[in-house]
Amino acid sequence: MKKRNLFFNIVFSALGGLLLLFIVLPLLSILLGTTPETLWLALTDPQVLNSIRLTFSAAAMATLLAIITGVPLAFLLARRRFRGKRLVEALVNLPIVIPHTAAGVALLLVFGRRGLLGQWLTPLGIVFTDNFAGVVVGMLFVSLPFLVNLSRESFALVDEELERVALIDGATPWQAFWYVSLPQAWRGVLAGALMMWARGISEFGAVVILAYHPKIVPVLVFERFEGFGLVAAQPVAALLVLVALATFIFLRLSLLKENSE
Amino acid sequence: MMKKTITILLLVSLLSVALASCNGGQAGAGNEAMTSVEKTPLSVFAAGSLIIPFADVEKAFEVKHPQIDVQAEYHGSIQVIRHATELHKPIDVVVTADASLIPLLMYESRVPETNEPYADWYIRFASNHLALAYGENSKYADEINAENWAEVIARPDMKIGIADPRFDASGYRALMAFALSEMANNDYGLFAPMFDGQFSFPVTIFRGDELTTITVPEILETKKGSHIVLRGSSVQLIALLQSGDLDYAFEYESVIQQHELNMVSLPDEVNLGEPDFEAEYNQVQVDLDFQRFASVKPKFRGERIGYGVTIPAGAQHTEEAALFIAFLLSDEGRAVMEANHHPLFETFLADGYENLPASLQAITVPLE
Repeated sequence: MKKRNLFFNIVFSALGGLLLLFIVLPLLSILLGTTPETLWLALTDPQVLNSIRLTFSAAAMATLLAIITGVPLAFLLARRRFRGKRLVEALVNLPIVIPHTAAGVALLLVFGRRGLLGQWLTPLGIVFTDNFAGVVVGMLFVSLPFLVNLSRESFALVDEELERVALIDGATPWQAFWYVSLPQAWRGVLAGALMMWARGISEFGAVVILAYHPKIVPVLVFERFEGFGLVAAQPVAALLVLVALATFIFLRLSLLKENSE
Repeated sequence: MMKKTITILLLVSLLSVALASCNGGQAGAGNEAMTSVEKTPLSVFAAGSLIIPFADVEKAFEVKHPQIDVQAEYHGSIQVIRHATELHKPIDVVVTADASLIPLLMYESRVPETNEPYADWYIRFASNHLALAYGENSKYADEINAENWAEVIARPDMKIGIADPRFDASGYRALMAFALSEMANNDYGLFAPMFDGQFSFPVTIFRGDELTTITVPEILETKKGSHIVLRGSSVQLIALLQSGDLDYAFEYESVIQQHELNMVSLPDEVNLGEPDFEAEYNQVQVDLDFQRFASVKPKFRGERIGYGVTIPAGAQHTEEAALFIAFLLSDEGRAVMEANHHPLFETFLADGYENLPASLQAITVPLE
């Protein structure tokens, strides 16, 4: 029995290990292919630093917007029954399925200078083409499924009985949400927000169509690669990998450390 | 439930494997182990302004040579070359919107393993004219013409699309158009309103006695609120023009006609497409001020637009590549290109004539 167990474990570990190797190998080769000097040059390059700052803050902005609107949606999806619920769930996942360049084109038609919304917002000074707002919109569109899905799952795991008890004891729905549901589901919401933020940082296709400038790091890497070749692009890519990994690991460890208990 | 799911998943994966193997001729380039019906893939890297006519050339060529499968990819001309010289992709045919880029970037650089140059010949096969494209709602459309275009598009409330001059030939040609327009009109106040204060590092112009030089910085970024919108290649500007995000964009005449956009033709002294104005065109140059990333600082001298084609070192299918070029330059190819508003030259001049495949020597004339 034990022997069969061992065999099972070996086979599954080998298969899973192959997949892990598939992730680690390209990352390692980009890191090892970069000398400390070129990495340092990239780190002290003001264009790279500005770009990193822009990328992280735009992704954070997109995540914030998605938390304000997506958490209520996730709660409704987890708790309420209504007609067309399956349709709403499918709708939320649509950005994962659509090619991101197509998403970029679609966003341009809505948020462009003469777009559906853009034509009303542009006179108010809210410009999306080649602007911060355009970067945010691009990231928001492609990464919001992560937040909504993980939040929804998290709310669904909260014992509904607890919410009902709170309501019976005279709590308003607002209070029940704030003091019962959210405190139990917040880790899932946070994990969703982190995933969304990370996905936003890595977005290229949707952003590049709406806002080539100011350049987020993925666009900068692409531009350096196309314009100046591998040697110029690699350190920036390596730096983004390092910074993203460090931030992601730090946030996961510090915010979600009790998750694994 | 689970059994059902697994069955569906298995079916889907079987289906995708089946689909993938049908498509094997396209996806599995270089896979000789397949059956004899396997087509020879021919990798063609071409300038973005050729997307539409080359789609038809490809179709016509494949009808005539059903054993060859053309796999085309389109980029800005400088990037087309970079895919060969930097990424060492096994490209069979290189086509650029500026033939001079081939000697500049390919003759000089060498394949590391063999130390041979990336190319040692090219054929100039077609020209074009630089023009301004505009859309339905573009501002001042009733006012703009071949005389006042430079003044009109420099107005602050405009959005003007230019391809990045560091990556795309139409980008540095657009810069040249301003210098040429200044000379033609004897009005040296046209460049500044368009370009001054638009970039975080300035694009500068130096008007020498014999040569006007425009210098483009290594980092070219538009400032917030700039009336210039840069994209990696000129064909990327078309979507922005159609969506109304641009008022005008610098494009080639052939591309404007292919997309049925409105066009402001530029005067012959400016449009870089007229053989009689070679001397004027020659008076301007665009320098790329590369400091960090490249050892050479590319310099582009103004000249009549000439599209160039070559077979680079590292090509895997040289015979098929020569067949493709011969077809492009044949009467059939000429007809397809003309139907797409992109006429070819009457005679095809070849640089490095002695290095051409014999079949192509027969249809070209040595460039003196």
